[in-house]
Amino acid sequence: MIPFELAEPTSLAAAVKLLDPDDETVRPIAGGTALMLMMKAGVFRPQKLVSLRKIEAKYSGIAASGDGLRIGAMTTLNAVERSADVKKHAPVVTRTMRTLSNVRVRNVATVGGALAHGDPHMDLPPVLMALGATLTIVGPKGERKLPLEELFTGYYETVLDKNELISEVHVPSQGAKKGAYMKVTTGSADDWPALGVAVVLDADGGAIKSARVVGSAATTKATRLKAAETVLNGKTVDDKLLKAAGDAAIEESEFIADVRGSMPYKRELMRVYVGRAVRAAMQGTGA
Amino acid sequence: MATTLNPAAKAGAQVGRSVPRLEGRDKVTGRAEYTHTMRLPGMLHAKLFRSTVPHGRIKSVDTSAAKKLPGVLHVVTVDDVRKVLPHPYYGPAFHDQPILADGKVRFVGEPVAAVISADPHIAEEAVQLITAEYEELPAIYDEVEALDTNIFVHEELKPAGTFADLKHLKGAKGTNLALDYRLRRGDFDKAYAAAAHKFEHEFKTQKVLHLSFEPFACICDYRETGVTFYDSTQGPSFVRTEMARLLGWPENKVRIKVPYLGSGYGSKLYIKLEALALALSMIARKPVKIAYTFEEMFYQITRHPSTFRIKSGVDKDGRIVARKCEVFWNGGAYADIGPRVTQKSGLTAAGPYDIDNVWIDSYALYTNMTPAGALRGFGVPQLVWAYENHTDMMARALNMDPVEFRRKNLAVEGKPHATGQMLKDHPVDKVMDKVLERMEWSKPFDKGGSGHIKRGRGFAIANKAVISPTTSVAIVNVAADGSATLYCGTVDMGQGSDTAMAQMVAEILNIPAEDVRVTPRDTDVTPYDMGTLGSRSLFHMGHAVRRAAEDARDKLKALAKEVGEPEGSNIPIADLFQKRYGMQAGNVIGSGIYKPDYTPPAPGTGQSPNVTPFWMVAGSGAEVEVDIETGHVKITKLVNVVDCGKAINPKSVETQISGAALMHLGFSMFEKMHLDGGQVTNASLADYKIPGFHDLPSVLESHYVEHDQSNGPFGAKGVGEVATFCVGPALANAIDDACGVRLMEMPLNAEAVYRAIRAKQGKPLEEA
Ligand SMILES: Cc1cc2nc3c(=O)[nH]c(=O)nc-3n(C[C@H](O)[C@H](O)[C@H](O)COP(=O)(O)OP(=O)(O)OC[C@H]3O[C@@H](n4cnc5c(N)ncnc54)[C@H](O)[C@@H]3O)c2cc1C
Repeated sequence: MIPFELAEPTSLAAAVKLLDPDDETVRPIAGGTALMLMMKAGVFRPQKLVSLRKIEAKYSGIAASGDGLRIGAMTTLNAVERSADVKKHAPVVTRTMRTLSNVRVRNVATVGGALAHGDPHMDLPPVLMALGATLTIVGPKGERKLPLEELFTGYYETVLDKNELISEVHVPSQGAKKGAYMKVTTGSADDWPALGVAVVLDADGGAIKSARVVGSAATTKATRLKAAETVLNGKTVDDKLLKAAGDAAIEESEFIADVRGSMPYKRELMRVYVGRAVRAAMQGTGA
Repeated sequence: MATTLNPAAKAGAQVGRSVPRLEGRDKVTGRAEYTHTMRLPGMLHAKLFRSTVPHGRIKSVDTSAAKKLPGVLHVVTVDDVRKVLPHPYYGPAFHDQPILADGKVRFVGEPVAAVISADPHIAEEAVQLITAEYEELPAIYDEVEALDTNIFVHEELKPAGTFADLKHLKGAKGTNLALDYRLRRGDFDKAYAAAAHKFEHEFKTQKVLHLSFEPFACICDYRETGVTFYDSTQGPSFVRTEMARLLGWPENKVRIKVPYLGSGYGSKLYIKLEALALALSMIARKPVKIAYTFEEMFYQITRHPSTFRIKSGVDKDGRIVARKCEVFWNGGAYADIGPRVTQKSGLTAAGPYDIDNVWIDSYALYTNMTPAGALRGFGVPQLVWAYENHTDMMARALNMDPVEFRRKNLAVEGKPHATGQMLKDHPVDKVMDKVLERMEWSKPFDKGGSGHIKRGRGFAIANKAVISPTTSVAIVNVAADGSATLYCGTVDMGQGSDTAMAQMVAEILNIPAEDVRVTPRDTDVTPYDMGTLGSRSLFHMGHAVRRAAEDARDKLKALAKEVGEPEGSNIPIADLFQKRYGMQAGNVIGSGIYKPDYTPPAPGTGQSPNVTPFWMVAGSGAEVEVDIETGHVKITKLVNVVDCGKAINPKSVETQISGAALMHLGFSMFEKMHLDGGQVTNASLADYKIPGFHDLPSVLESHYVEHDQSNGPFGAKGVGEVATFCVGPALANAIDDACGVRLMEMPLNAEAVYRAIRAKQGKPLEEA
């Protein structure tokens, strides 16, 4: 690792100015947990890192209002895990945090980093997508809003320009909806997932009014599984329905093979776990 | 965690007490010294440029850009090394490993060049600027194919000369075979032909690695007058001898200092970074440090992958009458201690069973992968993996209870081992009974209902012979105030040896163990020891320490007599010195040396009446829940029982058992170095996962049976490896019991289990 420049701007606007839309070697850094892995492996060799640690404090906070939560991009995963507001408005997120990596990573890793990295193995993106979260993105030309499900374009790829920053995430309140996140590992229990499945259901007794289902980790990117949702919507949950939802999910997913499993195996995991996630949500045992 | 251990054993006595680790406080407060974090004044850092091809001739190495980087002091290739060390090859069994790649590279990750700088970051950056061109050669990875191929990893074999059974391989060409060990007992062919039931299976183990918490590290400070190494090594005496050989110096000019080790597990034996550090310090004329990152750990030493073909003939009463073992050990590009693993473990390949006709062939093979060596069990876990799966498979095929089938065939006390040695202090039956008792084996077992969770349980049992013959020397120094210091070369790498050795000294001198100081390892001060390996230290060094303490005690008695004390006087030691020397002055020095009796195995048959001074025995029981829809295995109970003779420090014994078992739980369930065309595709802790707390079985039990080792110091023997042997096969047997699938290869990960389930259903899952 060679010396690089570390900029520590004190405002988000200043941070945006320090970024360069055309230079691969200039990047924002938040908790640094993902970037450091890349730097140690030699796959990312920065000239300049723009640290977001000293930008306005409001980007590190969680605020609850009637319609849900606003989570600043610099909020640590640990703060999300411990927030009473998150537990109230989006309990599925709180449950997800416990098995997301380990406490040392959660203490420094941020929500913005987890989203912007575009790594399909992260646990938080599918959950926020299933909840219907929206991002606020700040660039040289100002601010724009983007549904989270439109952020990812491929394996480690997002729609973000190199000089755009995520400033916050808006998470609609879960309300009476039921949610679950299934993290499926094939190595140690605290490994990155081989498959993640998040579901958020608007249900009435055993009947699903509408479902949002997201698959990740086994796939090139966190992906909303609309065919599976269509199978579930308006139906009463039984084994046959869940199997049909699982079958639909694998048809619309683009799988990847890695050390955590082959494509055919991950397909089978997805087939089983879509149903299990729905059951877990219905029973309130999710994540 | 339930336990049978009794920390309050024998109040007052030092042996048998759970003395807290003497160094524990320094370690947990961050005061203990480790090579990896050590700095010397004026010290430089080296970083390595490594091969990207598995097998190739080096056409050129371009170091020009690296040399130009400001801050770079030297860029070194083997040509530079030759100028200071004309024969830059090392290794314990073969002198086959070059200090830096010499003309050829033999595995991905092999060091080709080194950069020296005062700033490690600059050295690292300069490494990125080095380029090399190779003429790629076909490579060989599979251990069975390596025996019969025209791809040769080495042009010519170069035995080191230290091992008699390798001499015949000197100058051998056109082979990858670095040792072929044989054992023949009875007449296998005849007995097998006549057997009522015949079984033949093949088992495999994968490439896994030690992953010490403290990565490899060595600092060499070379001067014309002598050389000092600060070294994270398990074998300072060997390092000293080998460095003296490379330098052509007497041993007394070579000093190896060893701080505490952040574990070793067999990886830090023999020569690792020392020879390179020496060459670099000679070139730079300053202290040079090499300290690995975790990512580099994948390119130094691993456990041997293996293929084991096993055949057994069983008579109509369920007695095993014949067994043939063919074991192929994948040694990687350099032999390291592989030939010893092949032989010393090979001799136990037929298991703890009483079989009249045994045939063992065990082959050490070169391949184009990271070299393999000893890993907590010295090859035995790979053997047990095969023969304890095989045992269950035979029992099930014969419609016999797997436990009863074993009981019928166990080689109990007084029976001959396959080597011909009569088994003594080999309480297999006691170990087995203890496992079964803790597993409540005789009670009905709930196998799970019609849902997707199936339950099963499994058992495995094994033995190991300690490596022999080896030597240990110790010195006990009693100062004029009565305090005692122990000088012994056993390296405390976390196993608690310092505490155990201090307890033995304390027992004999009748003082508290806490008052015995164990000096840090330093070959200028601590006498010879063969190495901290293979569970040998507590027995061998224990004897040397006992003898040294007894020698000191006897000399103190003589001193008492000399100053006119009556027989049996309990005069304080300090007063003795005072009386003798008129002031607080003088020392009493006791020394002890130990080498067990040994009869070399007969060439060709491996028969010997005394091949090992002691046996280790272990048994495991496992209960699992298998999710048949995904292949996930949950371990609900794991019971590990060992025979360690007398427990010198019961708490240390317990943690050695649980630690060894959990380490092997990782190897058994998911750890694997993934290789693709010789490239390691998961060379980081982000992708190579080891067990964490969430992977602990719901119930984990560690026990030992009380059975004094008749020839051991205080009835004791080693316990560092023994709980590793049976974990894998006990789990595999439990999985088979749960859902009727048999995995022939480790690891038993969810995908492997799932694929086996699908294959059994006649709906095999397509390949990747
Ligand atoms: C050992 C280990 C285990 C892990 N296990 C898991 C796991 O089990 N599950 C899981 O989900 N994750 C896991 N992680 C990943 C962890 O969640 C991510 O590394 C973390 O979320 C990234 O956040 P960060 O703040 O550290 O990002 P950084 O490393 O600082 O940045 C990551 C990327 O996002 C960019 N970036 C950061 N902030 C912004 C922003 N506001 N706007 C635009 N771009 C931005 C950076 O430029 C960079 O490209 C693990 C990580 C480690 C090191």
